[in-house]
Parts: sequence; structure tokens; C-alpha cells
Amino acid sequence: MPTFNNGSDCMLIEMKNIRKSFGSNDVIKDVSFSVKGGEITALLGENGAGKSTLMNILGGVLQMDGGSILVDGEKVDFETPAGSLEAGIAFIHQELNLINDLPIYENMFLGREIKTKRGSLDLKQMYQQTAEIFERMNVDLDPGKMVRDLDASYKQIVEICRAMMTNASIIIMDEPTTSLTDTEIKRVFKMMETMKEQDVGIIFISHKLNEVKQICNRYLVLRDGNLVAEGNVSDVTTKVLASHMVGYDVRTESLRREKTPDNEDGEEVLRVEGLTDGASFRDISFSVKAGEIVGVTGLLGDGRSELFQAIFGAEKLLSGKIYLNGKEVEINHTYQAIKEGIAYLPRNRKENGIIKDMDIIENASIVTWPLFSRRGIINIERHRQTFFEQRDTLRLKMGDLQDRITSLSGGNQQKVVLSKWLAVNPRILVLDNPTQGVDVGAKEDIYDIILKLAEQNIAIIVLSSEAQEIIRLCDLALVMYHGVIQGEVRDELMNEHTIMRLATGGELDVERREQPL
Amino acid sequence: MKAEFQNTPPVKQKKSLLESFKHKWSNDPLFSILIALIVMVILQTLTLGFDYGSVGEWFQAWINNWINILRNNAGVGIVALGMTFVIMTGGIDLAVGSTMVITGAFAMYLLDTGSAGILGAIGIDGVPAIILTIILVLGFGYLLGALIGVTVTKGMVPPFIATLGAMMIFRSVTQHFAQGYNTTVPMEFLQISSFKIGNLMIMPIIYWAVIALILYYVSKRTTFGRQIIAVGSNERAAKLSGVNVNKVKLRVYALMGLLVSIAAIIQVSRIGSMDFSNAGRGMEMDAIAAAVVGGTNMLGGRGFILGTVYGMLIIAVMNNLLNLFGVPPFLREAFKGIIVIVAVLLQRKEKSV
Repeated sequence: MPTFNNGSDCMLIEMKNIRKSFGSNDVIKDVSFSVKGGEITALLGENGAGKSTLMNILGGVLQMDGGSILVDGEKVDFETPAGSLEAGIAFIHQELNLINDLPIYENMFLGREIKTKRGSLDLKQMYQQTAEIFERMNVDLDPGKMVRDLDASYKQIVEICRAMMTNASIIIMDEPTTSLTDTEIKRVFKMMETMKEQDVGIIFISHKLNEVKQICNRYLVLRDGNLVAEGNVSDVTTKVLASHMVGYDVRTESLRREKTPDNEDGEEVLRVEGLTDGASFRDISFSVKAGEIVGVTGLLGDGRSELFQAIFGAEKLLSGKIYLNGKEVEINHTYQAIKEGIAYLPRNRKENGIIKDMDIIENASIVTWPLFSRRGIINIERHRQTFFEQRDTLRLKMGDLQDRITSLSGGNQQKVVLSKWLAVNPRILVLDNPTQGVDVGAKEDIYDIILKLAEQNIAIIVLSSEAQEIIRLCDLALVMYHGVIQGEVRDELMNEHTIMRLATGGELDVERREQPL
Repeated sequence: MKAEFQNTPPVKQKKSLLESFKHKWSNDPLFSILIALIVMVILQTLTLGFDYGSVGEWFQAWINNWINILRNNAGVGIVALGMTFVIMTGGIDLAVGSTMVITGAFAMYLLDTGSAGILGAIGIDGVPAIILTIILVLGFGYLLGALIGVTVTKGMVPPFIATLGAMMIFRSVTQHFAQGYNTTVPMEFLQISSFKIGNLMIMPIIYWAVIALILYYVSKRTTFGRQIIAVGSNERAAKLSGVNVNKVKLRVYALMGLLVSIAAIIQVSRIGSMDFSNAGRGMEMDAIAAAVVGGTNMLGGRGFILGTVYGMLIIAVMNNLLNLFGVPPFLREAFKGIIVIVAVLLQRKEKSV
């Protein structure tokens, strides 16, 4: 049903010499490219490269300062998102625009409701049309289902179908897979293939280069507001794409250390026995030695974050024991955990990590305020000195100390959050999804820091949903499944195949016999 | 070309001056609030006019007018400072007026030179009685505030509900037990407010200024002060950074109670009595208004002690202006309402830039 303006060919969008600046900051500097229907084009770039700005211009959210947009050779001017949508360009934002308390078919017609002659909603019509589009897109969903009962991938799919319903010929998808599990990603990808077959063009914004290799035909790479590379995905490796994104060669080799602390030698820093919280995890026992890097991974709902937040005193434990250096401790509060030498870098930086009303130096010193103070008066000078030392080791790129934390890129924000924990010299450092929303360059910086801290005999626990990250970095990995530790892998057993097997509830013993690698 | 070169620098300079003003206007909330205050004061000064015989007399009148304004607002001004902290944590305290009444009543019962006096009954009078009263009243206020704080933190009752309840309880209890009670507060106690410095009755103003300075320092330089912002801006992140969120909130409400009891002492020592059914009614709204006009974000995370002082003064000067203009008293609240809404509208605009 997508309408093609000249009947025969797919839609063609050309963006020519686009420029955009915010104040004195040039965000897009003379960028030209084109996208076609029937193709999936990856738009790549680090945080702050200008991807969102460029797509917001195409989507009519922002106005360009210079340049032109041509749809099928005709010059257009998008002043509002509605104007862009009318021209056949739909923008699916990262935060989905669905209303949980309405059924799917009503969500499909938000703002464009079909009405009966008497002016009430024509629910039957809306249901009917939704069912039709689902059939066309091969979606097996009941249009009457409430949106709140859908998982993230189906929500994504509902948004896509909604875009298809407006006869969109080009769909912009902004990091659609970030909050999806592997099976859900597959589902969305299948949907994207269907759209491609129907001559719809997709602009796919993503950080995940593996996905780009898997699903996209073409790629565009933005860096500092310039288009630095474009071409066919089949001609390049992910490594080449990564180096285009950061502007230099990125290492991808394993960082795993040759000699891991010996079972005999390493001093046991943390041991837990039978930890249970009554909801997210149960009967968890493990131990970590000084200088060890332990990975903890699993799929969504494995309970690893809840487990370590409980060890850190942010959540309640029902039963179980925690030993630090062989001594049993009771931790009911985060400040007690900090006193015991435990540091926890939380996942979801925006919600749990940064405090947006505070500046950079304050975000970096919040943990040490009570520690570096006399009679409650903050020792500002000492905080500055500590922070300056860390700024260099962390390779932190920033302006003024008093700048807002939100003025930094994701990677640098994460480094600031990390620096507040390094300031307390922890014995145990728990990093929950430390490279989430962090660009490629900063990711490697963070890995370097982790390795360096392990050298200093700090016990490090990395929680991550990316098996690759765990395999590259950790000495051993605990794989969790539905709140229990399903298995422990190290050395040659630490590979994606085994980890996935355990993460989906498989057994390690069976795995060992079958082990082909 | 030549002309262009000659012209460019001065034009640029002018622009940069204007631009720096613009920059400050939209980036420094305190700056715009201060400008608003200055405009109000100029307006007020013009309204007072020069029709007095000499400049000296005019100046005397201007000063007297100001001392009146400041003294009348010292109590609410002090309460507004505490309210700023409460709002910065994302909370609210509706109980301040009632807390003032109950602590005020407590002060009067302690001091009474008649038969009802508690301290008099156990043989303490004179200056020791006054000092003891101050200590006990401050302690009582702190305790009541802490009680609200515990309800909010441990009891997990929303601040609006906890303080709404406290507001009703404190006043009702006071009114019941102090029915038909006529106090005779000792003259020495009145000195707290009416002691004159060089012929000027400015003690309440000094209390306000000193407390504002202390709290300004607390908000900028102490662990407690900065943790207030952290808790209000992102409670979860604050907790995960080792901030004892409940302790911070508890201390904020306790501090509020303490400041209210100071306002109660000032009130009692100014008038020598207190109307338990009317005193402090609407005080919570005035304090909230001052904080909001001063740039405090009702959602928490942002607030300025200095801003609240400016906010209080803006409202006070406006009241004074309306008085000078002869605006009927029933209409004055409407102007106050307009100021509060306009202030927030302006601040919202800044945010979106």
C-alpha cells in the first residue's frame, strides 16, 4: 500500500548540503546523502556525532540552517513533524509513543481517530483496519490487546505498523533494539525485512555494529557533523565501521589477562552464601578474589542487577550471608557498603547515575562529600585535586568543572560517574552495564581502567548483557538464569555459545560433552 | 572596507555587553530575579516621591518604610528559607503556620508571669527563664519537625498529606488547650524583638539576615546542603551514591520546625501575644510563594536561599506598592497570585532555551 509518487520507482530522498548549528556549536556541517526505498540504510556515529539532529531535521522536528531536502527530485520544506509524515517519512523515536492503557487498535489511530457520523469513535473500523495492516505485515497480534501487555518488541512492531498505515515510504528507526532481548530483536528484524520487500526504505540508527552487518544494505557514518564514510555494508567489516566512527583504528582483540590470580594465592575479598530476596534472585553463592575480574551475565530478568544492588545495600535481602575478607557483615544501607569498601556503578546512567541538577565536579564528588569533610563542611580543594588526578587517568574530555553534567557525551558522563567511585578507593568495584550508551572510544577507555584497577588488586565484578564484553574482559563469568546462577565458565569454556546456553537455562555438564569448539 | 573595519569593534562591543546581559538573564536565574526586585524597588521609590521638604527627610521616610517592610516579613522570610530546603528535596510543608501557633503557645505557657506559667511555677524567672524558654521552644519546634520528617521517611506518607495532617492537628490542639487563655508575657522577653539599635527596631531583620547567611553557607558548602539537591534531583542516584536519603529529609523537616519556632518567638516577642485561631494562617502559602518566585523548582533539585530572600522581598515590596497605590485590600491577594504565576512562567521559558 505505500504510494509511489511516480508509480514505478521507490521513493528517493536526497539531503543536500545540510547545515545546522546550536549557538556557536556547528552540529551538522554540510552533509549530503540520499536514501532509497527498498533499502535499509544504517546511520552510524558516536554520541554527539549529529545523527539525531540530522534525523530530526528530516523528521520535521528541527529546522535546518542551510541546505535542501528533495523527495523524488522535488524540493520540500518540513516545518513540522506532520509535514514530514505527510511526505511519507515516519520517525519512530527511541521512546515509543504508545499509550499503555489503550488497546492496540486505538493506539494505531491516535490523533487520527476514525469517527462515525454521530461523532463517536468508530471502534469497529479502527479494529478492522488494524487487523488488515497486521495481516499485510505478517504480524500475529490481536488488535484488541492492551498495549501494556505487549513486550518491548511488539510495541516496536505496533509503532512500525502505525507508520505503515500512514503510507510511510521511509521509516526512521532510532536505536530500536537497545531495550530488546535477542528473540525480540529477531522479531523486529523480520518485520524490517518484510517492509524492505514492500519497497519501504528504513534508516536504522544504531550503535550495535553486528546488527548493522546483519540487517542493513548501506551505511552512512557521521563524525563531528561530517559525513565521513558511506557505502555497501557487504564491503566492510565491523572493525572498519568502528574505526570510521571514532576516526582511528579500534582494537577488538581479547583483553583477557594471561595469568589470573591463582586459586591458592588470591585473597578472597567477597563471599556470599545463599542470598535470596524473595523476588528477583534466590540461593546465590559465589566468591571473588582480589585482583580478579568476574563477569556476571544473563538475559533480561536474570536478576543480576537486583542481586548486586542488594549486596550494595540499596535493596533488601530476605536471607543469606555476606562475608568481606572472611568476616561476616550486615549491609542495610548504601553508605554502609561504601564504608566496607564496596562501590557500585549502576546501570541506566540517566535514572541511577547522574544528577542532572548538579555540575560535573559535584557529580564526581557526591560519594566523598561526607568523607572529605570536617564538621559537615565540604573540602572543595581536596575534591578538585582528587578529580583532576582522575580526569587524566580516565581520559575525560570536558569543559569547565562547573559545567552541567548533561553537557557531556554519554561516555564522558559515565567516566564522571566512575570517577566518584574511584575517589573512595574501593576494595570491590561492581560495574553494572558500564558501557551502556557509551561510544566505541570511551568503551575501550573504560576497559583499560578496569584492567588497571584489577592490577591494583581491586576485585572487579562486571555485569553485562553483552557476552562479547564479558569474554573480552573477564577472567571468569557467572551466568544467571531467572534468579539463579546457572553456571560458572572460564578459560576455553568462556565463549558465546556456552554463555548463551546457560543464559537460556541450559546445563553446563551437557554443554561440556557437546562442546565442539 | 576601511569603514567596516573601523565600525566593527565598537558594534561588537555593544553587542557583547548586551549579549552578556542576555546570557546572564537566561542562564543565571538569580540574576533575573534580582533585576525584577530592583525594578520593583525603583518603582516603589518613585511612588514614594520627592514631595517631602528635603532629601534628608525623604530619605528618612524611605528608610523607615523599608524597615517596616523588612520587620513585618522577617517571620515569614525565615520560614520561607526552610521551605526552600523542603521544596528542594521534592517535598512541601503545609504545617508551618500551625507549628508556629503551637510553639508560640508553648513559649507563652513557659513564660507566663501569671498562674499558668510553667517556669514561674518551678521558681525560674527573669533572664534565666527567657533563655530556658528559647532553648525549649527551639527544641520543641525541632522535635515537631522531626516528627513530620519521620512520618514522611519511615512512614512513607507523602509530604503533602503528612503536613496537611500536622497542620490540622497542631492548630486544633493548641486552640483546644489554650481556650480563653490570656497571657502576660514578661517585658524582658519583648526585648527580643523590640530592642532598639540606635533608635531603630531592627532585631527581627537581623535575625532574618543572619539565618539567611548561615543557610546560604549551608546550602553551598556543606554535605547536608549539597545532599539536599542530590536527593531532590534524583533520589535513586543519590541513594546509590551512598547518600542517606531518609536522614537528609528528616533533617530538612526538623530544620523547618526549628525555623518556625524562631518565627514564633519573634512573633510572640513583637506583639506579646498570639491569636491562635488566625496567626500563621496562609503562612505556608506565602513561604512557598517566596521560594517559587525565588527560583525554587517545585519538583525538587533546584533552589536558592538568596533567591528566596529576593522572592520574599519582591512580594513584600509589591504589597507595599499596592498599599501606596491604595488598591483595595481584597484585591491584593490577586496580585500576589499573578506575581507567583508570572515568575514561574518566566523561569519555564529560561529552561526551554
